[in-house]
Amino acid sequence: MNALSVSNLSFRYYKNGKRNIVDNLSLSVEAGSVTVILGKSGCGKSTFAALAAGLYPENGGFLSSGEIEIFGNSIKSMSHKDRAKYLSIMFQNPDLQFCMDTLRKEIIFCLENIAVPPDKMDDIIIKVSSHLGMSKLLDRKLSSLSGGEKQKASLCCLTAINSKCIILDEALANIDNDSAKKIITILAEYKNSGGTVIAVEHRPELWRDIADRYVVMGEGCKILEENISSSDFENFRDILAANGIYGTYTGKNTSHCENSENAISIQNFSFKYDNENKYLLKNACADFKKSRITAILGKSGIGKTTTFLCILKQHKFDGTIEIFGENIDDIRENDLFKDVGIVFQNPENQFVTQKVEDEIKASIKNPEFLSATKLLEEYNLKQFAQYSPYMLSQGQQRRLAVFSMIAGNQKILLLDEPTYGQDLQSTENIMRLLNNKVEQDGLTVIFITHDEELADKWADDIFKIEDGKFIKC
Amino acid sequence: MLKNIKAEKLNPSVKAITILIAAILIALQYITLLNIIIFVSSIMILLLFSDAKLKQLISILIPALMAAFGIFLMGLYYAKNNTGITTSLSNFANEPYAVRAALSTNFNSAVALATRLLAYSGLGIFFALTTDGEEFVASLIHQCGMSPKFAYGIIAAVNMLPQMVSENKTVKLAYKIRGIKVSFFSSRVLFTMLVNSIRASESLALAMESKGFTGNKDRTYYSITKIHWYDILFSCALLGGIILGMIFLQ
Repeated sequence: MNALSVSNLSFRYYKNGKRNIVDNLSLSVEAGSVTVILGKSGCGKSTFAALAAGLYPENGGFLSSGEIEIFGNSIKSMSHKDRAKYLSIMFQNPDLQFCMDTLRKEIIFCLENIAVPPDKMDDIIIKVSSHLGMSKLLDRKLSSLSGGEKQKASLCCLTAINSKCIILDEALANIDNDSAKKIITILAEYKNSGGTVIAVEHRPELWRDIADRYVVMGEGCKILEENISSSDFENFRDILAANGIYGTYTGKNTSHCENSENAISIQNFSFKYDNENKYLLKNACADFKKSRITAILGKSGIGKTTTFLCILKQHKFDGTIEIFGENIDDIRENDLFKDVGIVFQNPENQFVTQKVEDEIKASIKNPEFLSATKLLEEYNLKQFAQYSPYMLSQGQQRRLAVFSMIAGNQKILLLDEPTYGQDLQSTENIMRLLNNKVEQDGLTVIFITHDEELADKWADDIFKIEDGKFIKC
Repeated sequence: MLKNIKAEKLNPSVKAITILIAAILIALQYITLLNIIIFVSSIMILLLFSDAKLKQLISILIPALMAAFGIFLMGLYYAKNNTGITTSLSNFANEPYAVRAALSTNFNSAVALATRLLAYSGLGIFFALTTDGEEFVASLIHQCGMSPKFAYGIIAAVNMLPQMVSENKTVKLAYKIRGIKVSFFSSRVLFTMLVNSIRASESLALAMESKGFTGNKDRTYYSITKIHWYDILFSCALLGGIILGMIFLQ
């Protein structure tokens, strides 16, 4: 039996739009299997996931042809309530999945939705939360959980609903490897008990143990390969690498000269998270060398992003931070920002204009040397010059955010997960661009990532945050 | 026994409607003593029969008292129908305007207005500090027939607030880093936040939908708020008390 069966599906966001986001896609997924869908960023995978869950075209967009069936029923004929019992979806952004403020209430909300009798709810809550190891977090504020915990909480809700099929829309993209592996172990059990998993992913290696097949999609969700199994995955490596979907990072050729002066020097550095008494970092020290690339690794919620905020004088801390030998207490904010730029985790928070072109222009302080159009060409975003930044795909947005920061010509660039949600090729593009800037202009790059291989291949220095300290690897 | 009497147990809808009617009744009278009784008893009930924290109470009371003082001064200086100035105006001709005005105005109406504001704030604080937001919304569903779509929309929006506060900080930082000056209520920051919140609400709606939320009434409820005898008692006591006060304290 097929859990999901899609035939001749074509979908676009605007009725008069020129191109279909999903173009004549036919695909079926067998019940009880784990299918991993790979594809370049912006190829329409996420849109396909939302279509399969029945969220589009109901909430937007235009379906020009095609039929979707879940477990043999046409999706159009089902109510949300019935649909959820068959199929539910776990989204990319863990912050935008919860309606209530604690996990217990959220599970109750889900159970109420599918009309579970109230007297059975407590048992279900205990069962699913202990099964996923979330019992202790049931009454904690969801907003205080780390990214990995939030996704586990989300999985808790889906298991409470007991959907026969779970779709993950890059749900593991922004959490550390350990948390991701835990979630996959839980999904393996779910599969053993008859559940179907469809995962839209950028990191196929995570799924090696449980995936039954990989599907590779190209532009417009065109299926390039649809029957790669875990065992013959190696044989397809070349195809995946050629399509820039998966492979090993090439990395930079040479490491940058050593023993250069410190760009940022952090001493006796301690800070707390807002309103909490526990120190995240305590008496930590680290030197970030000038004109080199440094990676910061560490579990989610350990204080990586907050460290960046401290460097930008946006968060209270004890200890000293020096930038090019000058204590940041003595530097005015405006002057600090001329030297230090940051690219945020969520690029949508970063845009200051309503046009891609203007976004680059806004950063160019000396228009004689740089032309925005030229830069856009260099960045492969020229065709979008007149678009609103909000219309780009998440991967494109992230690239634009990085580019517009680079155009500002700061001496130090902080990047918070610059490659999250990107395919191999886009990741390499971003890193190569940063690397060129380091070599040509002596830029200092410090980036946060969960991807250890990326850090290995591209960074000159690697710090890991553990037990409240920076540990040099 | 006394410990089990908690204002938090009152049904939020009944409480809200009762206090609304009480507010209308208070607006119809000018009895200073009654206003003071309402104010003092609201605070007393809060202190004795609720879990409200004293610190919270004081932090709301201070602005309320300041507002009441402001109303008092306004009533004192600018009251209509002020009498008693005609005879002695010439004697005070050399005094500053403020003093003349103060001496000439209607002290009583100023006090009545100021204490009325206190009575309002007493009832308002009583409601605010003894009502849980989610329970109130639940009670609006069960007692007032509000549609779950609307109700859960409110809850989701309220739960989104902390996230929006931190997002606001990030967006402002983004502007500052690019060398663009932003003020506290900058329209540019608001624009970015508006775009983001439309996106956020869309994503959240999709997430809720994929978890089976329909917005219709075909759902079960973990706990259902009900109206008990003590809710009726509370209503009758408060409204009855005010009406009696209006009759006998006149």
